[in-house]
Amino acid sequence: MTAAVLDRPALDRPLRAPLSRLLASELRWTLRRPRTVIAIVLLSLVPILIGIGVTIAGRRGGGGGLFATLVGNGFVLPILSLTLLLTMLLPLLGAMSAADALAGEASHGTLRGLLMAPVGRGRLLAVKAFGVATTVFIAVLGIAVVGVITGVVLVGTDGMITLSGNTLSFGDALGRIGLAVLWVTFQVWAVAAIALAVSAFTEHPLVVMAATLAGALVFGVITLIPQLDWMQPYLLTSSWTSVTDVLRDPMPWDGLVNSTLKAACYLAIGLGVAYAKVSSKDG
Amino acid sequence: MTSTSLVEPGVGAAVAAPALAARTRGLRKTYGSTVAVDQVDLDVPDGAVLGMLGPNGSGKTTTIRMLLGLVQPTAGEVELLGHPMPSGAQITLPHVGALVEGPGFHPFLSGRENLRRVAAAEPLMATPAIASSVTEALERVGLADAADRRYRGYSLGMKQRLGLAAVLLLPRRLVVLDEPTNGLDPAGTREIRRVIAELHAAGTTVLVSSHLLAEIEATCTHVAVLHKGSVVAQGELDELLEAGAPALLVSTPDVELSLDALRDKRIAARSSEDGLFVELIGTTAPQVVKALVEAGASVHEVRRRRTGLEDLFAQLTEGEPR
Repeated sequence: MTAAVLDRPALDRPLRAPLSRLLASELRWTLRRPRTVIAIVLLSLVPILIGIGVTIAGRRGGGGGLFATLVGNGFVLPILSLTLLLTMLLPLLGAMSAADALAGEASHGTLRGLLMAPVGRGRLLAVKAFGVATTVFIAVLGIAVVGVITGVVLVGTDGMITLSGNTLSFGDALGRIGLAVLWVTFQVWAVAAIALAVSAFTEHPLVVMAATLAGALVFGVITLIPQLDWMQPYLLTSSWTSVTDVLRDPMPWDGLVNSTLKAACYLAIGLGVAYAKVSSKDG
Repeated sequence: MTSTSLVEPGVGAAVAAPALAARTRGLRKTYGSTVAVDQVDLDVPDGAVLGMLGPNGSGKTTTIRMLLGLVQPTAGEVELLGHPMPSGAQITLPHVGALVEGPGFHPFLSGRENLRRVAAAEPLMATPAIASSVTEALERVGLADAADRRYRGYSLGMKQRLGLAAVLLLPRRLVVLDEPTNGLDPAGTREIRRVIAELHAAGTTVLVSSHLLAEIEATCTHVAVLHKGSVVAQGELDELLEAGAPALLVSTPDVELSLDALRDKRIAARSSEDGLFVELIGTTAPQVVKALVEAGASVHEVRRRRTGLEDLFAQLTEGEPR
């Protein structure tokens, strides 16, 4: 045997690449993907659009509801933006990331490469979930930050007038916005977890997008049918309006906590199904 | 050894030597009612370059995927580097480099970035060594100039080279190449041969599947022939090719003179296209050459007649229905 052969690393124990390196590599990959960047940038522009639109409309004296409270109240802008985006575009971003994470990798033949490296199947799912979760968080945070800045530029830093009528200090207002960011992020994670489960079953990213969209539509239709009222407590989307609770003072926690627990159930089911499939998937 | 095997007992014994890089027994894989692979007993000797040969759809890739633990066999057992698969994947796969079912990379990343991503997942790769290993692998496959271009713009051959570069990121114990010359021009094919030869010289076991016979004949020490999901022959390339009666092909202008000289020595010979065909029964090659030279015949070339992989392959895969 030659020296080269003797130099071989021992073949006696399981070897794993450092988790931090895998996570960093996953983030690099996710955030370099043009569509991720474009989606995050476009979503972050929404608060600017709403802010300018409402300001112009406000000068003419139009609008009502949440939009009306926005006039002369800059800190409502990020919350309003998140509320609007949560109903459709943020779940779409979560679904897109989840679709790319497993189905997209499978369609490029790169999932096989990761399995052969080898990245253990449980770890693979953890790394993928981390990538999706981070993308969603960055998008939500971006929307909030741009929303705050736009609000401050358009209205000033006088504090937040709540829906209950009193005014919160600048610091308190930021705290409320931070809470909204965490809550919205978690809700989108729940959607993305379900999408990740679908993603584990297919190698067509489009199927994941279609399934998530179909799910959102079905949930929307069920909400409209009075005879199906009893299903409401089980629908993830039915409690998505509770984010506006952060605009009340004192803040009612019931809606936020309940919806978070509900999202946790969706998250657990989604990741559980995804794990079951990934661990038995053919490479 | 199954009854379908052409391998002589002596060859079988040599193959069954204890040092095997990979071994399967009774391997079977079915997809629904389709039998992809059945009763595959494959031996990959340590340090060999084993060519896996078979027509399209003969089960080569399925067998490789089971060897690598990517697919769970329906029945049978797989041993890779002495550990059962797929349960030993985390132990064995870090030492294995594989290019299976074509190269898989992301189109929006450059070749270099794609390799960095692959390197990050390699357990045996030291983090500070990633950048230099990637550059080295790119140079080794001749992609240094195109390293920073997007994979999207690569030609088929360049994609294949990048796949090979991923395999070469680390020194391996076993390298598995599934149809490595797909889409390559003749120069690229020669480079694959060179890389395989380098790996072989460094003591790496290489398992290369191909339906290109010349490829296998040029690069391999061992051959396994798959047909309809089963191994129909395996063993050392030379022995498989010489399984027929040994013979010499002598190229000479002095045919009559040579035939007389050999007849005197009671060596069976007849004239052929460009010289003589000599059967090596009860004699050896040096004796034949000596007889010819002593008779004064001018001998241009003497070579062993080989069945030729093409003939062997045709015989194994196009024979009577199984």
